Amino acid sequence: MKSKGRRGGIYRPLTQDQVETIHDAALTILERVGFTYESGLDDLLEMLEGSGARVDREKARIAFPRSLVEAQTAKAPNRVILYGRSEDSHLDLQDDLVHLGTGGAAIKIVDPENGTARPSTLKDVYDLARLVDKLDNIHFYLRPCIPTDIPEAAYDVNVFYACFKGTRKHVMAGVNNEKSFHDVLELAALLADGMDALKARPFFSIITSFAISPLKFCTQSTRIMREANRHGIPVALSCAPMAGSTSPITMAGTLAQIHAEQLAGITVCQLTQPGAPVLYGGIPGMANLKTMGYLGGAVECGMMNAAIHQMAAHVGVPNYNSAGLSDAKIPDAQAGWEKALTIVLAAMGGSNYVHHAAGMLESMLAVAYEQFVIDDEIIGMSCKVLEGIPVDADRLALEVIESVGPGGNFMTSPHTMAHLHDEYFEGNGITDRKSRPKWEKDGAADAWARARRLVERLLSGEETPYISESLDRQIRERFEILL
Amino acid sequence: MSDWAQLKQALISGDGEELCRRVRQTLDQGVSAKDILNQALIPAMDVVGERMENEDMFIPEVLMAAKAMSAAVEILKPLLAADDLSAAGKVVIGTVKGDLHDIGKNLVAMMMESAGFEVKDLGVDVAPETFVAAARDNGAQLVCLSALLTTTMPMMKETVAALESSGLRDKVKVMVGGAPVTRAFAASINADGYAPDAGSAAKLAKSLVQ
Repeated sequence: MKSKGRRGGIYRPLTQDQVETIHDAALTILERVGFTYESGLDDLLEMLEGSGARVDREKARIAFPRSLVEAQTAKAPNRVILYGRSEDSHLDLQDDLVHLGTGGAAIKIVDPENGTARPSTLKDVYDLARLVDKLDNIHFYLRPCIPTDIPEAAYDVNVFYACFKGTRKHVMAGVNNEKSFHDVLELAALLADGMDALKARPFFSIITSFAISPLKFCTQSTRIMREANRHGIPVALSCAPMAGSTSPITMAGTLAQIHAEQLAGITVCQLTQPGAPVLYGGIPGMANLKTMGYLGGAVECGMMNAAIHQMAAHVGVPNYNSAGLSDAKIPDAQAGWEKALTIVLAAMGGSNYVHHAAGMLESMLAVAYEQFVIDDEIIGMSCKVLEGIPVDADRLALEVIESVGPGGNFMTSPHTMAHLHDEYFEGNGITDRKSRPKWEKDGAADAWARARRLVERLLSGEETPYISESLDRQIRERFEILL
Repeated sequence: MSDWAQLKQALISGDGEELCRRVRQTLDQGVSAKDILNQALIPAMDVVGERMENEDMFIPEVLMAAKAMSAAVEILKPLLAADDLSAAGKVVIGTVKGDLHDIGKNLVAMMMESAGFEVKDLGVDVAPETFVAAARDNGAQLVCLSALLTTTMPMMKETVAALESSGLRDKVKVMVGGAPVTRAFAASINADGYAPDAGSAAKLAKSLVQ
């Protein structure tokens, strides 16, 4: 049973009135407060000015009239397909259809050998891609950690290469500059058998953190975003303010600010390239006001991420957001409850592309191999919730109840056999349902230890050659590949 | 005297109005400004620093406490001798060259000021030679370097080197801090101390200059 692409929209924390109030507040923010910017965006300013925005160069302020924002937002496609490199791995982002996967830019990984955190490497990016490729409930691979063992200038091409080599699933990551974007485009075109084939079915997309909250264009990311727009590569308009430090401490205020930032981002993309495929990328989060760090595991993060999907749906743009973050340091019970709550809420909300949903720990600073296996199970169960309880003649089983009769049992009924494997969620094997004596005989392993065994088993298999040898040679001639 | 507890409470809870009212009242009772500063205000800020270090207090509450502290010090200032406000020592602080981040550095400066140091804040993007000149001109005992980026951490090393070649290194202690900075890094560049947060920075500063 495929968990990907099920319909959510069964948890709506905002009423329709509240959605409209927040939308209106966002338009007011864009009109009255506007965006600021730094140098290097002259062409953006000219484009916006030419379209009716008011630019005050002395104060570095851009005010967006409502009519401009509304007209441009309407041009954004309400459906974006993110392709994989196999027919079973495409993602159809629209309405309330839910997809969940990895994400982040962790700099540490919990080493399965000794359970302590060490710097993450390019090999980790590749091995995690292989692991995710084998976990059915993780629907896409957004690079979850940074290769700290290679020079920063070599990051982008090598990260995408490691991802493409390890998995057939859709790949997403950020790039550091426009040149890197073109390198990655060229790398992907080699794999796609040509640029036209790639652009017809792009199997990678780009995260562009165009907004530095509150309300400021990031020069570099905005330039990358517009370059991707021009080449038809889908972009996730990531903005991730932290309630209390980079957005108001209240949930409503944070949602309004994010919605304003998103509307500005969508407007820029559609002015750059009408019809450009974009994902509304508002990620509501919270500041840890005791350390000024990021809080991801709070239950309110789940609530706000369900709410932000409602805001994206209100303007008819598929959305990219977060769930499954945890502030726990290891795959422990706290990681379990924080992930389960935020993932199920975001999924029930109908979020289209939920990243960070597998592997993340320590408020986005670390990942753990074992956690990907555990989170695959949590995502699977959360998607199961979306299926609801089917009630039809067969499932109602009136005839079966009659034939078994009072006092009998259903153990050997053909009806039981028919639904043994399709009525209830069957996981990847991480959930322990054994008797205590059998569990003790197996080493009395907790979830973390059981996950470690599963990781070992999944990674010890033969590597699937997602990049052929001849293609690999071609790539290595063109780029410096460090894997 | 019993009023210390109430003064301290007003400061710790960040109630500036209440604190100033009590400071004036205490002065009216004939208590010296110096005693109010040293017996109530600074010990109360030590408590704030400790709670911040233990992540027991919200940063916005710490900011309110520090704001209350400076308002109270403004009242006491005309009544204090020049050296009462730098009793703990003199500090030069800044974010190193190439780095524009200042939230953490400002917090440290504020906590040090509240702990009784006289703080000269050089701002952000501060060149090594500027640190050297400021340390010399202010007669600082402590030079504090901040960096948020992994790419500007090497500038900390260069700043320490500049202090060495200027002959000032033996006269000052150097503290470093910022998100990517670690104790091991501090040791590797020959700094005297590292603190992970503003509360422990003020505490460490006191122990370094004693």
